[in-house]
Amino acid sequence: MWDLFVSVFINVLLWIYDVIGHNFGIAIILFTILIRIVTWPLNAQQMKGAAAMQELQNDKEWQAIQKKYAKDREKLAQEQMRIYRERKISPFSSCLPTLIQFPIIIALYQSITQSLGSTPLDLLKLSRSIIFPFLNVPELIPLNSKFLWMDLGRPESIAIFGFGFPTLALIVAITTYIQAKLTMPVSANPNDQSAAMSKMMSIYMPLLLGYFALNFASGLSIYFITSNILGIVQYAMQGKANWRSLLPGGQKK
Amino acid sequence: MRKKVLFITMALFAVALLSGCAGGPVRGTTWPGLAADENAAYLADGPYVYAIDLKDGRELWRYPADTDNDFVFYSTPVVTPDGLVIVGSSGTNRSLIALNPNDVNLNSNNTNSPGVAWTFNEAKDQWVAPPLVADDKLFAVNSDGYLYVLNLQDGQSTKKAVKAIRIGGRLWAKPTTDGERVFLTSLDHSVIAVDIETYEVLWSEDIEGAITGSAVLGTDGMLYVGSLASQLVRFDPASGSHEPVLEAENWIWSAPSADGDTLYFGDLDGNLYAFNTSTGKLNWPPIKPNGPITASPLIQNDHILVATESGFLFAIDRDGNVLWSQEVGGKIYTTPVASGDLILVAPLETEFYLAALDQNGRQVWTFTQGS
Repeated sequence: MWDLFVSVFINVLLWIYDVIGHNFGIAIILFTILIRIVTWPLNAQQMKGAAAMQELQNDKEWQAIQKKYAKDREKLAQEQMRIYRERKISPFSSCLPTLIQFPIIIALYQSITQSLGSTPLDLLKLSRSIIFPFLNVPELIPLNSKFLWMDLGRPESIAIFGFGFPTLALIVAITTYIQAKLTMPVSANPNDQSAAMSKMMSIYMPLLLGYFALNFASGLSIYFITSNILGIVQYAMQGKANWRSLLPGGQKK
Repeated sequence: MRKKVLFITMALFAVALLSGCAGGPVRGTTWPGLAADENAAYLADGPYVYAIDLKDGRELWRYPADTDNDFVFYSTPVVTPDGLVIVGSSGTNRSLIALNPNDVNLNSNNTNSPGVAWTFNEAKDQWVAPPLVADDKLFAVNSDGYLYVLNLQDGQSTKKAVKAIRIGGRLWAKPTTDGERVFLTSLDHSVIAVDIETYEVLWSEDIEGAITGSAVLGTDGMLYVGSLASQLVRFDPASGSHEPVLEAENWIWSAPSADGDTLYFGDLDGNLYAFNTSTGKLNWPPIKPNGPITASPLIQNDHILVATESGFLFAIDRDGNVLWSQEVGGKIYTTPVASGDLILVAPLETEFYLAALDQNGRQVWTFTQGS
């Protein structure tokens, strides 16, 4: 099942690569846009969930139970769950799109390394992954792995004064941070668990994706950056971006 | 709290999976390289190159002495006339290294390691192809698209290329020579001829598909190349003019093996072909031993040995009849090697790294690290 999932990724990537004139970097960018379109309902659900959570922070009943059960965490959790149920809010809906990224990242990473065929075994596996009969893979091989200054099959760094400077990893971390901050619900309550969770995600996700960008194929970084920029644009266009969050102390109301 | 745990679990799972796919110095990232002389087998298998005693399958030495994350070996080792073992690394270290089996030292971890006679550090990418030794010269092709010519007799411990010739594409197959020219094949669909004395590119011709195997010279004086476009293509070695002479059922991965005027080769559908260069026809209809064939057939006195991905070794006579078959195990992608009475097979996905069989396919010994 997993192999089929990866095969679909590989075939779509190769098809785009073939159609656009053999540029694997552009193929990854277009593929990312495709992924964003496919996962649009999930992103919409996330935005809806985030907005509902944000509204909840200003709700009198919500604020009252925070105050009332400030010293009884178990009871507070029960009351919070009751309110979630009553108002049909899923606290998980806001982090589902983030979590769904992981299988996509893994599948994309495998697709990139297999498509670029950096070892004989990778190339042999590629021959077994072709499910689109119209793809002429022997003609496409070897894929052009160069994009701008990068080799998409390898981790990226630019040599500055003899030291490798991880440009892409930095851009990945920054854009991930901006996207997370923009979508973070504003909370006046320091004990609010959802806000704490969002805050934690806005710290850990940039570090995690930055780590991926630092250590794995730079094609993956192209996916992260494109996906983050699209996310930021999407929020901004819908007027839901919380730009104040980017400023120091911007979380406070 | 549950969300935090879920997030961290997913993140760790992703890191673990990606790290596993990243191809560090572990066995199995691709198939090993195998060579042998009359005394030892040389196995380039992930983090180490091993020398294995042919008498009993005991480890004679390994290189490097301890695991070094910079080294990954899978290019087939080459033994020079003066006994050096040359092998290239495909890790972050992209050295071509000449090991001296006559200068072996005991390490603190109780293993033996050979001295390094010389290294060549100018290449920028992986060493997939073994180099070609021609008299006192070494013709080494790298995935960076260069043919490097080294002088074996200059006595230098840090080799400089006599000539670095930009060929282009990824060069994964061992060069071939007819004594006048060196022939190269490229994943970039090209077959190239280089003058062996002047290093001038004489011709470069494109064919339909990528090429992963070496070119081979037939007894008719022509050059034959199998491609991933499933074609066997015949070249005039002097002019480079070429034509497809056979359409296979699937990708032809490795070089055909020449036996008189017959070329034996397999494809990824598992067909074995016997192409007669004199008649331009197949000696017999393709036979399908058992599973895809990536390894070149091994020509023996009274039979041809064919290894399949399904882990079997088949002995086939020159009329296309199966004499015997033996399940070795795992998946066999590496071309088997013969030394004396032994047939050496290096499968993937088995507990052992190397198996030695007798001429009837019976297992004599196996080798695993530390044995």
